[in-house]
Amino acid sequence: MNLKFRNKKITGILSVVPENEIKFDDELENYAFSKSQSMKLKLIMGYNKRRVVSKETTVSDLCIHGLQYLFDTNKLNKDDIDGIVLVSQSPDYFIPSTSHVIQGKLGLKSDMVCLDISQACSGYAIGLSQAFMLLDQEDINKVVVLNGDTYSQKVSVQDRGSGPITGDAVGITIVEKSNEDNIIYGSINTDGSGSDALIIPAGGFRTPSTPETSVLVQDNKGNTRSLDHLVMKGDDVFNFVQREVPPMINKLLERAKVNKDDVDYFMFHQPNKFMLKKLADKMDVTYDKMPNNIVENFGNSNSATIPLNISFNLGDKILRNSYFLCLAGFGAGLSWSSLLLEVGHLDFCEIINYNN
Amino acid sequence: MEDFIPSLAELLEEESVELTDALDSFEAWDSLTILSMIAFFDSEYNVQLSAEEIENSETVQGIKDLVESKM
Repeated sequence: MNLKFRNKKITGILSVVPENEIKFDDELENYAFSKSQSMKLKLIMGYNKRRVVSKETTVSDLCIHGLQYLFDTNKLNKDDIDGIVLVSQSPDYFIPSTSHVIQGKLGLKSDMVCLDISQACSGYAIGLSQAFMLLDQEDINKVVVLNGDTYSQKVSVQDRGSGPITGDAVGITIVEKSNEDNIIYGSINTDGSGSDALIIPAGGFRTPSTPETSVLVQDNKGNTRSLDHLVMKGDDVFNFVQREVPPMINKLLERAKVNKDDVDYFMFHQPNKFMLKKLADKMDVTYDKMPNNIVENFGNSNSATIPLNISFNLGDKILRNSYFLCLAGFGAGLSWSSLLLEVGHLDFCEIINYNN
Repeated sequence: MEDFIPSLAELLEEESVELTDALDSFEAWDSLTILSMIAFFDSEYNVQLSAEEIENSETVQGIKDLVESKM
């Protein structure tokens, strides 16, 4: 679905990562890898370091920590927030929504909109699109988009496909009305027939968690997990991304009448280094224009990887300069989304730690 | 398809491979090699394969047949 927004802008990005860092080298014994396989995986997939929360920490804790930091440093005024859009698939509870938990704990005004959106890796562009739509309202001037997950809690420690890349993080993005006359192009796409490619089979209303769903079973590839754990069909996801993402971007650029060369950076979701390099190859984009270093430094935190990508790779530079960015997310659903927009002269763009 | 054999040898980290070679006889035969094959055939031949299809191919000839059947 083609989307188009007018007169909206991003004014700040803060990424919050747990302080606790796990190194791939230290967890090798969990996986049935030979030494040479491990070396190859480190090099090719980008398995290296990842940030994970402790058992007690949830997405709302990371969001509240980040927002409180913004209030304390006068980068964001509490009373200016007219809406919160939270994109996550690791809610604190089934009832109530996590955005309401955050609103309540921070003592924000009641005259505001709070929405939870259930999306994973494609969620950044979807959350921003929802915020842009809210900003069309006369009385809504500033929306906070919260993205992120704590999936490390739902991945088996003996799953060598997903375990070494899974990280936890949240991104906080401030979105406002812009006085400049601009157009932001975007798209959101859906293929629910691939819903089993990335799934946690048990724990919802369809199959509630029971002692039986927590039984660990080994699959034919040597991964051990239960029905309460995330399971990913890696090859299906790979093929889906290579098939759907390049045409989505081509169409987006065509609609905006811009060339690939006009885009400063392709700030894409970060599933792993390998997939991003293959995507860049297929799209004929150089690796320096499509950063792929988030998984090796932080792990894959679903919809938080794009804001983390921007904070980590552009950081201070985007406070002084402006860049024409192409954003794209893709994953569970299946779902894939994109945005093309100028981002620059931000009030803040940084990464802070959460002491778990 | 003339560069099929040398490319497959490179993916399997071997000097050379024969059409009759069993895939699981190679030292480098693992999930990462299979993923590399999926990526290779996607980018070079525009053919999308699943990990299961590759595993079920059993031999180098089997992979060749599989790729050709989708071209």
